Amino acid sequence: MKRGLITWDKTELPPEVFQRRMEIARKVLGERQLPALVVYSDLWRSNQARYFANYMPYFNRALLILPVEGKPTLLCGLSPRTYRWIQSVTPIDDVRPAGNFAKPLGEIAAERGWTKVGVLDAEQLPYDLSEALQAGTVGLVNVESEAVFHPAKDEYEIAMRGKAAELVRAALAEELPFGVGKLDHEFVGRLERRLRMAGAEDLVILLTNGDGPPAPARARRLEAGYSISIALEYRGHWTRLTKTAGSDKLDSRLQVEERMDGSYPYEAL
Amino acid sequence: MLNTSRRDQYLNLMASRGWDHLLLYGHAWRKDFFRSLVNFSFFGPHAVAALSKSGELSILASHPWDAENIKATLDADITCNGDFNSALKRFARANTAIAGMELMEARFVEHFPSAVSATLAVEELRRFKTPEEIDTARRAAHLADLGYQHFVDTAEVGMAEYELAAEVEGFLKTRGVEHNFMLIGSGGTEVYGMKPPTDRRFQRGDSITTELSPQVDGCYAQICRTLILGEPSENQSRSFAIFREAQQAAEDFLKPGVNIMDVARVQNDVFRREGFGEYTTSKYTRVRGHNLGLHPDENPYVLEDVDCVVDKDMVLIAHPNTYLPLAGYMVFGDTLVVTETGCERLNKSDKKLFWKEA
Repeated sequence: MKRGLITWDKTELPPEVFQRRMEIARKVLGERQLPALVVYSDLWRSNQARYFANYMPYFNRALLILPVEGKPTLLCGLSPRTYRWIQSVTPIDDVRPAGNFAKPLGEIAAERGWTKVGVLDAEQLPYDLSEALQAGTVGLVNVESEAVFHPAKDEYEIAMRGKAAELVRAALAEELPFGVGKLDHEFVGRLERRLRMAGAEDLVILLTNGDGPPAPARARRLEAGYSISIALEYRGHWTRLTKTAGSDKLDSRLQVEERMDGSYPYEAL
Repeated sequence: MLNTSRRDQYLNLMASRGWDHLLLYGHAWRKDFFRSLVNFSFFGPHAVAALSKSGELSILASHPWDAENIKATLDADITCNGDFNSALKRFARANTAIAGMELMEARFVEHFPSAVSATLAVEELRRFKTPEEIDTARRAAHLADLGYQHFVDTAEVGMAEYELAAEVEGFLKTRGVEHNFMLIGSGGTEVYGMKPPTDRRFQRGDSITTELSPQVDGCYAQICRTLILGEPSENQSRSFAIFREAQQAAEDFLKPGVNIMDVARVQNDVFRREGFGEYTTSKYTRVRGHNLGLHPDENPYVLEDVDCVVDKDMVLIAHPNTYLPLAGYMVFGDTLVVTETGCERLNKSDKKLFWKEA
């Protein structure tokens, strides 16, 4: 689960940013004659929903319902006891408890007269949820994420990822030389403490002495020339840096093409 | 890396059900089905292990580094493909059962002709730990104790929740913990639960609650404790006494043959007797405990409407965590392993309301 600082600083990400993103999605929905877009989110697949609503279910699932007309709704698997926290991190006012998303989605659709809705990347929904939604009364139409989710064209998205990268760069500039001779998990612990203190929401740290690909810490002593790969999430924005101690050159053995606009930082192409 | 005890269990399961192939699927959040057979903490988005009824093992990972790391220590057919959806077609054979099928992307499942879910059957096997897994849970519980002591030693007035979480995370990772499920809450009677850490700063008199759940070699253990900054008030002490008695009731009751619903009931009965029965409902609390293993929140959940007979080698936590108007949300619980005649508490931390001068 996420156990770093999950917060919403409105000077970094003003509410208008989310409004603008929702308007772009609404325009696409209008063109396709769809009354609403449904966006799934969970612990590790939260990027798209967060792009619109800044909410991520830290150990659960959620469904964002973004109508063309009217206010969006967030269906949450988490207990209403957490709603005060949820409402502190999202511009969405209408937060509802939902163990089974199909039933409340059907109710909202019935209330508003929707016979079909768009579903972001419908075929990538978890199988159990996909089956439950398909068994409901409202028709589902796939909306490919590329149509509405444009992180590379969004100045706020780029700026936030830049901050994430800067956190990693600053930490590595100071800490990298001290890794040699340490057990890998000791070094990881030092970095985790430092980066989480600086506001990292989540981290995935891999290391290698060059005798194999980077891997999670496994009680190996770091040798001169070791390499480290850090994926860091800052307020919902992932970045990833790989460095070799004592060298500014890229280690070609570490090079893997990955996408950074997907749901997780280690998505190889 | 290969759990041979589980492999043998899975082969027996396949034979009894008539399955030709068993797939164990994992993604970045839920790696547990995959890790129950191939205990590697993959970091790419997806991985699947496929076991044939003749015992052949094939693995598909979505990140090349995962595949190479597994190849280094496991003799099996191991492949990698960033296009996991397309690569999965190779495993799409008839008469295949899938553990973790519900978690899979819908398009993955569509490749399989008449796929059957093996999730429940595999969960039921995983519910009972191997001797090696119990040893690992013991090590994880020890680290939970150490981590909680660090939590107590470090917490102070003026510190933010996320700073305390960072201190604990650094402490545990330094000692080789691979992951940690951690919730936190702080304040008084206005606090109704725990959540990820915020930037709220601790104040004198705060009740600081946490669930710490270090993961060691795949296995989670958990500890729940409450820390008061300053001497506990009468209400905080009175409230804690109820939690302490409820948890002890579960620990005294737990043994092979009892039903998990009664493990919940004996805890809730303590609250009812004290006039706080309504605070044992879903409005104020989630569960009265749960199984532990390769996932920190495994079935069965300890609830009065869950029908499941307890047996030896289950590892679970009994935690009567809930809100009470006396002192707000409070937590208390320990990891327990079911033995022949009762249960053993794996955590060794004092069973007390922790407090420190503020």
